[in-house]
Amino acid sequence: MNASATRGGVTTYNGELALLMSLTPAIAVAVRVIDALWMAAGVVAVLLLSRACMSLIVRAGNPGTQKDASPPQGRFFSALIVSSVLTASFEILLMSADPEASASLGIYAPLIAVNFLVLSMTRAVDSGTSMGRELADALGRGIGFAACLILIAILREVLGAGTMTLFPVGQFSGVIAVPGLIDDPARALGLAGGGLICLGYLAALVRLARKRRLASGTAGESSKDGPR
Amino acid sequence: MEPARLVLSSAPHLGMRSSSARMAWLVAAGLAPAAAWGIFLFGVPAAIVLCVSVGAALLAELLSSFFLKKLTITDGSAFLTGLLVGLFMSPSTPLYVPAAASAFAILVVKQSFGGLGRNWMNPAMGGVLFALLSWPGSTSRWTGAFAARNAAALPPLVALRQALPSPTGGAPLSVLAASGYRWSDLDARVIAWINTHVFAGLGTALQPGTFDMLIGRTPGPIGALSVPLLLVGAAFLLRRKIIRWRVPVFFLSAFFFLTLALGGIASGGSWLSGGPGFHLFAGSIVLGALFAASDPVTSPLSSRGQIIFGISLGVLAFVMRFFGSLGDGVAVAIVLGNCVVPLIDSRFDGRATALSRGRRE
Amino acid sequence: MSWMGIILTFSLVDNVILSRLLGVSPGVCAPVDMRTARIVGLFTAVLMALANLAGWAVDSLVLSPLGFAFLRTPVFVLLVAGLAFGLHALARAAMPRLLDAAGISLPEIAVNCATIGVVLISTRAGFTASQSVVVGLSAGLGYFIVTALMTAIRERLDVEQTPEALRGFPLHLISAGLLAYAFMAFDRTFLLRLLGS
Repeated sequence: MNASATRGGVTTYNGELALLMSLTPAIAVAVRVIDALWMAAGVVAVLLLSRACMSLIVRAGNPGTQKDASPPQGRFFSALIVSSVLTASFEILLMSADPEASASLGIYAPLIAVNFLVLSMTRAVDSGTSMGRELADALGRGIGFAACLILIAILREVLGAGTMTLFPVGQFSGVIAVPGLIDDPARALGLAGGGLICLGYLAALVRLARKRRLASGTAGESSKDGPR
Repeated sequence: MEPARLVLSSAPHLGMRSSSARMAWLVAAGLAPAAAWGIFLFGVPAAIVLCVSVGAALLAELLSSFFLKKLTITDGSAFLTGLLVGLFMSPSTPLYVPAAASAFAILVVKQSFGGLGRNWMNPAMGGVLFALLSWPGSTSRWTGAFAARNAAALPPLVALRQALPSPTGGAPLSVLAASGYRWSDLDARVIAWINTHVFAGLGTALQPGTFDMLIGRTPGPIGALSVPLLLVGAAFLLRRKIIRWRVPVFFLSAFFFLTLALGGIASGGSWLSGGPGFHLFAGSIVLGALFAASDPVTSPLSSRGQIIFGISLGVLAFVMRFFGSLGDGVAVAIVLGNCVVPLIDSRFDGRATALSRGRRE
Repeated sequence: MSWMGIILTFSLVDNVILSRLLGVSPGVCAPVDMRTARIVGLFTAVLMALANLAGWAVDSLVLSPLGFAFLRTPVFVLLVAGLAFGLHALARAAMPRLLDAAGISLPEIAVNCATIGVVLISTRAGFTASQSVVVGLSAGLGYFIVTALMTAIRERLDVEQTPEALRGFPLHLISAGLLAYAFMAFDRTFLLRLLGS
């Protein structure tokens, strides 16, 4: 049962599972708020651009026809090429904009290329729908991703380090010390395990919120790979 | 895609995995002598630490019972978890450490999984590990007026680690003696009396510190001081068949033999000079082996599995004590062992796997 | 770094799943049963070793001498994906029933963060060819160990009556977090004391 859900999860990008799967490697950098902000910016930018590029490629390749005219492996590799080239560009931009953040993102910046959200949404481009709608869809999911990542980063940095690191502006170094927590914070939350545990509870919250929305009848689309 | 909803929980049907209300209270009673000794030695601060950790555990249990929609506070398991967490703490630890450790133990390690019997990690040890990772040294911190009031400012194990590698090498007690570690006056008097009246004729002598180590008049975790009192409590529980003997026995003997053979090498000495007696009496190993590792919920079901579990705990505790950096290594060894229990169960206990397989198909 | 140091670092201390958080996904991290876990773990370990060797070759023979280090990301991503497809085809030809029974989902393994992450880590650290292979194998061993532990834990959780809001993926993540805390026992200090250097 689980294998089929996962196999389904690769092709569909709806639902809580996709959001959480895309968060798992990214959560490793959600130890400082500023790193999470950069990570979120990178994922959203690469997501939007690669979806736009892929959409153009698909339209140029088979104008006016239904989706999936190209073979699945061709689609898979072209999505990989698009997202990884865009990710490499993001890396270069980040390196010149903020070398320190680039260093602390480390290997997680290149991994944006294979981020679950980015890759599954790039592959699922459909020449039947309008480009604007596809981008709006991607933006919505990107914002959801960014909100979760930043929330976890704030939680972990405030409780686990007693600080909140933002952009340095003028005299302000960018680091806000939280009174009461800075002296002896619960460092375990800043470790990898803390990230996983936070993500676990976030997954439960997302599930509860989704269930409530479905129950109240104002829900948008429901997902097939729902609560597992 | 929906997981099948089992009407019956698997836990009570699998042998000893059930843990009734009476059991938890009895285990807590078995810990009472050691806890009382800790409070007697360290006074009010120790009592406050124990109260805070037990209180935080009970509060967390009450809070989570709203979400789980069943009131489990009277089954004693939260009380026991809080007590164990408190007994692993140093009496001079800041009070938020036991509170956070107990809350983590109950909320994350136990209740998130649905309560007692469904957690795969021992809650108290998970809580202690959280405290060790968050506030390193909180279980061995020894500060302020407290340090002045006691004979030696450091627990023997910590002092030993600081003294090593020592040029003299040798057994732990002589390394401590060489490094100028101070024992209590009572110890000096008792050892001198025994040496002149008993051992003088035999041509041998007891090391200073032996008496302190035996009765637990040393700095250390509140509940781990007196090994004899821990053994008294455990004997009572063993007689009533509440704790299972295999895990602690194999745990402690594997640790004993490894320390005897390799402990000396690990601390820069020679073969067979590890001083296993010292290492059994120092730190929280006996407390952990008797009261945390033997937890029926988080140890294997089959007797073969329990033996393997016990031996691996002994090996892990040895490795963590001599090479690790998380306290005296007992809590983290037990937690690492807990991680392997489901694997051991699936290898050695057909019932658990048969059940899970039947449910999947 | 000594050979023992590399093996311990990449299998326990810097575990791909528990320390780097690569490859924590419901399908890959905890496959359905132990048999699948073993096959996926073995497949990933071989893939990691191969990808690391290939990554080292491409990086130190082509990209770095030509000054094309900025191309690392697309090159490595495509390299790993291509290798995964090739290895999968090879394994499928050799033992068709085994692989199909395990239900290994190819695209997931091809873009598995763990493999690409390990290639990135080892090229950034500048290992030699033989070291890269050992790094890949030890990272694969670490992956294998954690997958086996997680699968057993997950099999136990699946038969318990856990709270509905947390059942499934959330509890698997919390379990992985607790496992990661336990693995903190193997830290840098531990490595330093054990190997004495």
